Amino acid sequence: MEALTDLVQYILQNLINALQRGSFYAVISIGYSMVYGVLMLFNFAHGDIFMVGTYIGFGIATLFLALFAGFLPGPLIFVATVVVTMFLASWIGVFVEVAGYRPLRSAPRASAAITGLMIGIIFETGILIMLGATRLNFPKLMEPISYNIWGIYFTNIKVMIIIISLLLMIALHTFIQKTKWGMAMRAMSFDFLAVPLMGVSINIIAPLTFAIGAGLASVAGILYGQAYPILDPYMGVILGWKAFVAAILGGRGSIKGAALAGYLLGFIEIFVATVFPSTLRDLIAYSIILLILTYRPRGFFGMEHSTKLRL
Amino acid sequence: MRRITCLVVMAMVFAMIFSPSAFSARKTVIKIGINAPLTGDNPKVGESSKHAALLWLEDIEKAGGLEVGGKKYEVELVIEDNEYKAESAVKANTKMITQDDVLLIVGPQSSSQAVPAGEVANKYKTTMISPWSTNPNTTMDRPYVFRGCFLDPFQGPVVANFITDEFGFKKAAVLYDVAADYPKGLAEVFKGAWEKKHGAGSITAFESFTTKDTDFSSQLTKIVKSGADVLFVPQYYSEVPLIVNQAKDLGWKGPIVGSDSWGSGPTFELCGEACKGLFFSTHYAAAGAKGATKAFIDRYTSSFGYTPNDVGALTWDALQLAQKAIQNAGKISGRIGKDRTAVRDALAKIKNFAGITGNMTFTEEGDPIKCAVIVKFNDKGETEFFKSSCP
Amino acid sequence: MEFVRKFKNSFSNVPMLGWFLGILCAVLIEYYFGYDYISYYLGLPKIPVLFGALIVLKNPIMIPGVIGYDLIVYVIPILLVAKVSTFFTNPLAAAMEKMPLWLSALIHLILFYGILHLWAGINDYRVMVVKLTLISIILTVSINVINGYQGEFSCSHPGFMAIGAYVSSILTLLFFVNDKTFGEPILSASLGPWLFPIALLAGGLAASLGSLLVAIPSFRTRGDYLAIISLAFMFIVKSAVENIQFIGGARGMGGQPDYAPLPIIFIWTMLCIWIIHNFVTSIMGKALNAVRDDEAASESMTVKTRKTKMTAFMFGAFWAGIAGGLFAHVLAYINPGMFSINRLAEILAMVYFGGLNSIIGSIVGAVSINVLGEALRPLELFKWIIIPLILIFVMIFRPYGLISFKEINAKRLLRAKHKREQGA
Repeated sequence: MEALTDLVQYILQNLINALQRGSFYAVISIGYSMVYGVLMLFNFAHGDIFMVGTYIGFGIATLFLALFAGFLPGPLIFVATVVVTMFLASWIGVFVEVAGYRPLRSAPRASAAITGLMIGIIFETGILIMLGATRLNFPKLMEPISYNIWGIYFTNIKVMIIIISLLLMIALHTFIQKTKWGMAMRAMSFDFLAVPLMGVSINIIAPLTFAIGAGLASVAGILYGQAYPILDPYMGVILGWKAFVAAILGGRGSIKGAALAGYLLGFIEIFVATVFPSTLRDLIAYSIILLILTYRPRGFFGMEHSTKLRL
Repeated sequence: MRRITCLVVMAMVFAMIFSPSAFSARKTVIKIGINAPLTGDNPKVGESSKHAALLWLEDIEKAGGLEVGGKKYEVELVIEDNEYKAESAVKANTKMITQDDVLLIVGPQSSSQAVPAGEVANKYKTTMISPWSTNPNTTMDRPYVFRGCFLDPFQGPVVANFITDEFGFKKAAVLYDVAADYPKGLAEVFKGAWEKKHGAGSITAFESFTTKDTDFSSQLTKIVKSGADVLFVPQYYSEVPLIVNQAKDLGWKGPIVGSDSWGSGPTFELCGEACKGLFFSTHYAAAGAKGATKAFIDRYTSSFGYTPNDVGALTWDALQLAQKAIQNAGKISGRIGKDRTAVRDALAKIKNFAGITGNMTFTEEGDPIKCAVIVKFNDKGETEFFKSSCP
Repeated sequence: MEFVRKFKNSFSNVPMLGWFLGILCAVLIEYYFGYDYISYYLGLPKIPVLFGALIVLKNPIMIPGVIGYDLIVYVIPILLVAKVSTFFTNPLAAAMEKMPLWLSALIHLILFYGILHLWAGINDYRVMVVKLTLISIILTVSINVINGYQGEFSCSHPGFMAIGAYVSSILTLLFFVNDKTFGEPILSASLGPWLFPIALLAGGLAASLGSLLVAIPSFRTRGDYLAIISLAFMFIVKSAVENIQFIGGARGMGGQPDYAPLPIIFIWTMLCIWIIHNFVTSIMGKALNAVRDDEAASESMTVKTRKTKMTAFMFGAFWAGIAGGLFAHVLAYINPGMFSINRLAEILAMVYFGGLNSIIGSIVGAVSINVLGEALRPLELFKWIIIPLILIFVMIFRPYGLISFKEINAKRLLRAKHKREQGA
């Protein structure tokens, strides 16, 4: 009986760990997936957009804490930080679209992927030059409180991350499904050649998609800063590639799929390290992804139309 | 019109060729190469090496050059970025040796670059001092390669002994980066040393992650559950704060002990409360330092705005060693091959060099015999001397 | 512009042979007079290694000296000799036209190698840069088979490279070197350089076997899933190597013997270019292009799509393995971290920068990225702003890469250029 309780506790503990990790992957890969869905582009700059968003969040949070820490309640500062950061970071998304992707709209999409990669490198180096090599500490926007309920440890930050990520995803889903803009995006992802002829301008939809993706990434960045408060200019690289995996695994143009794949990635990483020796984590985790794709070659919610390369 | 353009172009070319820089005789300049990761995964290491080198150069320039055999020579630093990549470190070394004609190279700092770069330095018979590389392979069978710090096989047992003596624990856990040279090597050495002391099975969890990971929750959950008394984390300053805080959040109660890599950056500033009172082994203790060490720390802090980390201090020592070796070599003949060998021989002969990170004498392999220091983060976040352990 | 046109026109009767002769003269001038006379009187500390880019960026005062050096050593002799020598190079080229193409190409290549050897031999840093550039050419040309001719987006090239590097290193260390892990050599060390090609081939074959792991699942469907399958493959290889203790894991593996001097790498590179060129112009290559452009249509035209794709993929992986083996023996050290995301970004940048579906494009891409990377070294951090900016601009103005869907005709390139052809 003791052993069973132990096991249940252990599994629940790791479930919470995985939910937190998965939340980040999910929110970041949604941004990736939207661009991929609407424009059929690999947005290799997305990881670095996330990184820049985190740094913007860092700047805003530091500023707001310095200005208002005494007389405004903590949650209000948090909300204000999120809103301002989202606004600023979405312009980064627009900038990347206009500077890196728009000139290449008729080019092979792999070329656009390269410009994305290069913009990412410029962001990384730019931040390194501006802020120096020392890693920065993201300020705490709320005091962490640890809970221990029935042997399961978690903090208020973990709970907040999971809830806010879910809320963001629901909000985005509603936006895509219910609003006119969302409909335009869905249409665009269905056929990006015919829809512009129907009066939906790709030059508005594309930046909007990038802006939403960047905004989401920046919120993820602030949450990331709360959970893992060490900032480094190269922090987005691996996350970006993982988001790339999750976005395609989820299926083209599927927000649901990307979110699910993001959570799945988090679960695979956490549980593989739990069950197997953790030195083998990457080996087994990516083998599982390979297996999934062998048996579900279109990802989870992939649409049944040709994904031929425009070359 | 065309003729005029032609004439103007010709005139400009001639003006350029016979400009003041032309016809100046070559001077004998002592060049010191610095091979450091200014970009890549660990730019802080490169920045610290560069800063320490600049301070050293400042000293030399103040003295009007480096005096060798009664003659003052101008000194020039050649700083090359190795991008934290092995092949780039090799290219940088080749360039500095064959193109810039450096007399001696300081760096690369990390073993993953120092091992291949050492091969190049040795091939071209150029002295290389790696201030921070703890992998035995860096200097093994390479007469021209030296290092400025102790080795993993020494540090691992030091930490294991310290934990046993200080806390009396029997069960330990290790969390390390499987994809990086240094943490993996040290983790394995520690495991061996600990198991030799406490028998097989005394390492209850030997968990790993991959470079750039930020979430260690599943590994830490495993470690907490394994019933270990103490956790050994041979990681860099960018990971330690995350590991310490996450461990606390997941219900870890015991102490966490680290290695010299904790001193690679402002660990305490990033970590906060949770790191108070933690121990790690390192090369020198910044708090309460005396004499030359204190002078260096003060100067560095006032110049660059932060307390020098281990890398900075070790690079400083390596440069002092280099300076001493060059001076001991007696004279600069101007023939670079001969001078390089002379410097190497002089360096190998240095005995009891009093560096700011301790006294050094080189073994046959070019490794210094040097003490390790166990330090503790005190309440102010300074690294306070606790104990030293000598071979 | 008139001037430029006239200028170009007056050199239009110089055959390739003439240019080679000019460059040879320039290199000889540098070899004999470069250090002691020319660079000395121009106030340069040494022979400018990459045409002076490094010196100029570090010390702008040297700009006039460097320009003077480049003019005296390179520009003027090359132009002069090329122009003056037309009276005998043209008949010579005409005579060579009568030979079989392979023979005249071989003669040109040998001449080219001689020049390269002389030029690089002045300084070992140049040798290192040339070696790594040649290896990059193999990598880029081979990924072009998959990403260009086949039209997929494969991310697994670093993985193949790692397999090739490790397999060939294990073989050479096991057979020819007294090594810590593998002990006494099994065969005599003097055989090493002769049997090294076998070790390399074994590495290449191992890589192409490994590529099956990507190829089989991914060709059930096509398109972007290959991208993540191949990415996953790359991570799997890296993680697997990290976990194999006897080859050093993350600590890497060193001490590979120096079996890859410049001529060996040059021969392998030329072999690679020649074989890949033959492959993509063969029926198989045409089938590959057909599959890329329309899979269903080509299937109905009796193209065995699956077989074609598999072969091309394994073929690309094979050459990546060879490149990995050479790379390991040039650096004499490998670790799994070398074959990761950074390397992938570099390879992708080279192939898309150079241009898809073109071997000459790949060569241009690999050479320019490598040379840029070295020449901008003195800029330190800013190098990583300038190089991406250059790449972005190239992609914006030439979205298909510098030279794409184009091939240079060797016959046209090497033939004699008589007066009558002027302006034609």
